[in-house]
Amino acid sequence: MWQVFRANLKGIFRDRVFLGILVAATIFPLIPSVSSLSMRQVTELSITLSFSLLTFILLLLAIFLGGTSLWKDIERRYTFSIAGLPLTRGQYLLGKFAAIAVFLLLVSLVLGLLLLMTVYVTSILHPPIRPVVWGNLVLAVLFHCLKYILLVSFTFLFSTVSTSFFLPIFGTIAVFFVGTASQQVFDFLQSPSGQKLPVLLQQIATGLYYIVPNFTAFDLNVNAIYALDVPLNGIGLTLLYFIVYLVIILSCASFLFARRELN
Amino acid sequence: MKKLVLVGLVLLLYVSVVVPFTAYMQNKPFVEKLGYVPSAATLRTTSLDQQYLVSSTLIMKVLFYYGSLFEAQKNHIDIPPNYDGMVDVIETAVKLDPYNMDGYYFAQAILTWDNRRIERANALLEYGMKYRDWDFYLPFFAGFNAAYFLKDYPTAAKYYQRAADLTGYALFSKLAGRYMYEAGKTELAIVYLKTMLASTHDETIRQSFQLRLAALEETRRAEVARDLFIAEQGRHPKSLAELEQTGTLDFPLVDPYGGKFFLDETGQVRTTSKFSFAGAKKSRQ
Repeated sequence: MWQVFRANLKGIFRDRVFLGILVAATIFPLIPSVSSLSMRQVTELSITLSFSLLTFILLLLAIFLGGTSLWKDIERRYTFSIAGLPLTRGQYLLGKFAAIAVFLLLVSLVLGLLLLMTVYVTSILHPPIRPVVWGNLVLAVLFHCLKYILLVSFTFLFSTVSTSFFLPIFGTIAVFFVGTASQQVFDFLQSPSGQKLPVLLQQIATGLYYIVPNFTAFDLNVNAIYALDVPLNGIGLTLLYFIVYLVIILSCASFLFARRELN
Repeated sequence: MKKLVLVGLVLLLYVSVVVPFTAYMQNKPFVEKLGYVPSAATLRTTSLDQQYLVSSTLIMKVLFYYGSLFEAQKNHIDIPPNYDGMVDVIETAVKLDPYNMDGYYFAQAILTWDNRRIERANALLEYGMKYRDWDFYLPFFAGFNAAYFLKDYPTAAKYYQRAADLTGYALFSKLAGRYMYEAGKTELAIVYLKTMLASTHDETIRQSFQLRLAALEETRRAEVARDLFIAEQGRHPKSLAELEQTGTLDFPLVDPYGGKFFLDETGQVRTTSKFSFAGAKKSRQ
């Protein structure tokens, strides 16, 4: 599994994905000047824009890197050769997943550092009313990274049953939409307007809420932008949720991949 | 050579299209420029994890629109502003990001002096106070609106007290107390505008406030001269010209909006511009 992980991580670097990200990251130095358009919250706007850029890059990476990785191996029949290797299909899948997850962590680290530098420059030029809480920024970057690692697990799950790249790519985009909106739908169901909906619909929506991922929990942007306190119990619960959910999705993916007919 | 001519032709074609295209985009009606903005709930769902970016973008959009409008007014081009459209967008933006100070600040700037939608401004500020519970600006704005526009002094005192509690500034405590009754409206507005000016980065808003502040300072100068005249002569002056003739007013009043100052029948200092370029233009016609 270690060798699969190493080979895949090297492959990602060899494909110059990291170089592409660095090119995209050249937008970061422009953020302080764009933020100065704000009337009253220049530093806050720079944090908003920096996080938008970071999450956008991570989203693209998660979908396209995750969505094509396993599918490409199946399509090119590389997976056919793993039958002769001393590792199970599950280990092969986990090795590939770990390579992308580590790559996302590395990208988050680099982009996170650029984000911190951008915010630091802006906060020197335009000191905010509330001082920047740097710990919140780091936590927000970390949790965004975890969110996209979780999303990558879905690309693998879809790749195990798909015969084309459509399901891994578009299925994951759909999961991202649903996972980002699930908490709002749940909150609406709890509101007086939501209670007026047919009971069956309420029950189906509530059931789905527990099944689909909840990406809202990983969004600490508001805490980072406005220096609000981060609830520690919430952080702990979200971390646990991430681990448990990831284990479930990867187990399902391994189970399905082990039973897939590879020609 | 043929290739060169072809490239030149394509470039020429592009330039001949892009020039009228840019002019068309620039001269689009303001309502179209603002565009249709879906409800906050829809936007929150569709913007995924970019809701703070969407909120900031909406506010920027309105700000640019207002900026172009302000420039047009300065150049004496009378375009009726779409205040409702602007405020709808701002309200949507602060629902997406209830901490966004730009939204409250801008709404305060356009809803009060220009539009006189004071209740709507204060409702928005009240909403913001629930989230930005550390920020004294929101109760400060709401207090000013209540005192200056609504003349609701108990409500104003409540807001100023909140601002005082958050900052410990003596000025707000004064405003929360008797100061408001003793000080004239003009002085209150000058204090308010100076506070607003001290904390804005945006050039359009800054210029707008500076103009109003200059006009108010001229008004205050006239009021001080009028009061001095009454104290010395024991009667009201007939006009501002009399204040100049007697030397009570040391130099002529200048309305930066282009209007003319005068004393109304109650002895209050007024200007024909009513603190707007459009008002000055109307008075000249």
